[in-house]
Amino acid sequence: MKQWHTLVDALNAAPGDRPFVTSWIDDDEQDEVTFAEFRRRARVHASLLLDQGVAAGDRVVIVMPQGIAAMTVFAGAMMLGAVPAILAYPNFKIEPAKYSSGLAGVAANLAARVVVIDEEFPEDLLGHVSLHDSSRLIRAGRASDGGSESELPVAGIRPDGLAFIQHSAGTTGLQKGVALTHETVLTQVGHLARALQIDGAIDRIYSWLPLYHDMGLIACFILPMVCHVPLVMQSPLDWVMHPDTMLQVISDYRCTLAWLPNFAFQFVPRRTPRERWPQFDLSSMRALINCSEPVRASSMEEFLQAFAAIGLKRNALQSSYAMAENVFAVTQSDINDPGGPKCIWADSMRFRSEHRVATVPQGTPGAMSFASSGRLLPNHVVRIVSDNGEILPECAVGEIHVKSDCLFEGYYNRPDLTASVLTAGWYHTGDLGFQMAGELYVVGRKKDLLIVGGENLYPQDIEEIVAGHPAIHDGRVVALGMYNPNLGTEDIVVVGEVEREETLVDAAEIERELRSRVVAAMGVAVRTIILKPPKWIIKSTAGKPSRSGTREKLVHEHPEFDV
Amino acid sequence: MRETIRMTPEAQQMKQLIAELIRRPNLVIDENTALVSSGLIDSMALVDLLVKLEDITHMRIPPGKVQPKDMDTIALMFATAQRVGKPRK
Repeated sequence: MKQWHTLVDALNAAPGDRPFVTSWIDDDEQDEVTFAEFRRRARVHASLLLDQGVAAGDRVVIVMPQGIAAMTVFAGAMMLGAVPAILAYPNFKIEPAKYSSGLAGVAANLAARVVVIDEEFPEDLLGHVSLHDSSRLIRAGRASDGGSESELPVAGIRPDGLAFIQHSAGTTGLQKGVALTHETVLTQVGHLARALQIDGAIDRIYSWLPLYHDMGLIACFILPMVCHVPLVMQSPLDWVMHPDTMLQVISDYRCTLAWLPNFAFQFVPRRTPRERWPQFDLSSMRALINCSEPVRASSMEEFLQAFAAIGLKRNALQSSYAMAENVFAVTQSDINDPGGPKCIWADSMRFRSEHRVATVPQGTPGAMSFASSGRLLPNHVVRIVSDNGEILPECAVGEIHVKSDCLFEGYYNRPDLTASVLTAGWYHTGDLGFQMAGELYVVGRKKDLLIVGGENLYPQDIEEIVAGHPAIHDGRVVALGMYNPNLGTEDIVVVGEVEREETLVDAAEIERELRSRVVAAMGVAVRTIILKPPKWIIKSTAGKPSRSGTREKLVHEHPEFDV
Repeated sequence: MRETIRMTPEAQQMKQLIAELIRRPNLVIDENTALVSSGLIDSMALVDLLVKLEDITHMRIPPGKVQPKDMDTIALMFATAQRVGKPRK
């Protein structure tokens, strides 16, 4: 891959007649743009932003549905040297007031010059949008039918200038805008392109991943833009409601690369009627990369067993460990290894009690398996650290710290949050893992982040909503992610103490109310709500609810969660 | 109770699937019970409802033409199938 100075240079160098983005909606409805048409639409949007006074360095918040228009606004902002950030589009479950306050918070933190919404943005949400004093709300069309392009100023974009900001999900996550420079992003894309041996003239990426998430934004928009790879994408909602369309799109377009969170490896085979499997052909796939949730060997094996008969090769199944703070990937499995990612078996007792991985032969009773996330990308270093800061040897489980040449420099406008995770160039990921024979294995989260269907959710956000109910003892709520083997992802389980034990007779009604409050505020459904009498939740020495203590007690009383 | 009696056999079939999905025997649902917006059904269960709806109505409901809000109640599901469903090939 050529060394570009900026992302805009890379886009401008793409062959104009090569297809770039195909937005797949249905058999009879697709929108496809070449690189030349993508650039033209981006310039139309850049002109619109310019008319609104957007200049180099200004932040541009984009709240548009998944599709070409959101991407061309993003690229248009970068052409001006402005700094775009894509946020999640409101889903209908979220209450307008809750959504708007979140949006206003981000726009204020970024001090965004403009917030760009699409022409169909719901009116009821619009009424609630209150923005930062200097932010303006504008609607962008699709720019598909012409549109005026004024002369764009020479932006003078510098490689060390900010390119864009990416967020993790949730109210808490929205305060963490990961600010990235052009050269940082290009460094990451270069590493990844070499590790995956990407060739824009041959490869084609499939994606349903949301653009407000690093896996969707970097792997399935920025990487193909820089490496000039055609991309076929659909909206996450269309995919989740019709998971078999992923197989159809890969077959029809002969896609070669895709990234998926772990749960999708189970969800697609289980939710695609078996009689439809023979209609599809996955032989074109050379890397289907499991990323963003801890990798489970069983989920990948299930996918392989289902689809080997329709051409899926074992070595097409790959894994990676990635995070927004490192632009994206830290590790990548070896795509030339015919066996796919390494998988080891370990003694579960020693793992739980000594936090060490002692390998045992596959099939040993009580053994647990771990799938590797692969090897470190070049110029990446990882250390495994204990709770008291000691650097741990190979096979010991501790927090993963990362240092690399594409690490972020900080959260936008939040030096306090930056200081809590970045020390002497090491990023404290909050993930737990271990190293063995040059491979990194990720086993879970230290920070109690819930990863549901590949989305990051902060338990504090859910706990705050539940604790706001009058029947619940304030502050006595714990939200946990419990692995659901049937779904291959975590379920949200909430344990709350009632204020008075006698209210437990109304548990069903309270539970119903809590469920709708969480969904209205966050757009996600809680799988299980468990109401307990006062003093049930385990407290830490600081007097706060202890997540780990409460988890243990819950598993003890409800063995169905112990998987 | 009256709502239940008025349900068509097709709606009854859908109600039975929903009851299996949400596994809450004491919860009474009718054609107008909010399922998605109330948090009873999560996004990942929508595909089960769609597959069932396609089976019951003998229609194909194309992606891109249906949103979670169109599946929020049993009544809306059947209205959606009428509106966007295509005859099965």
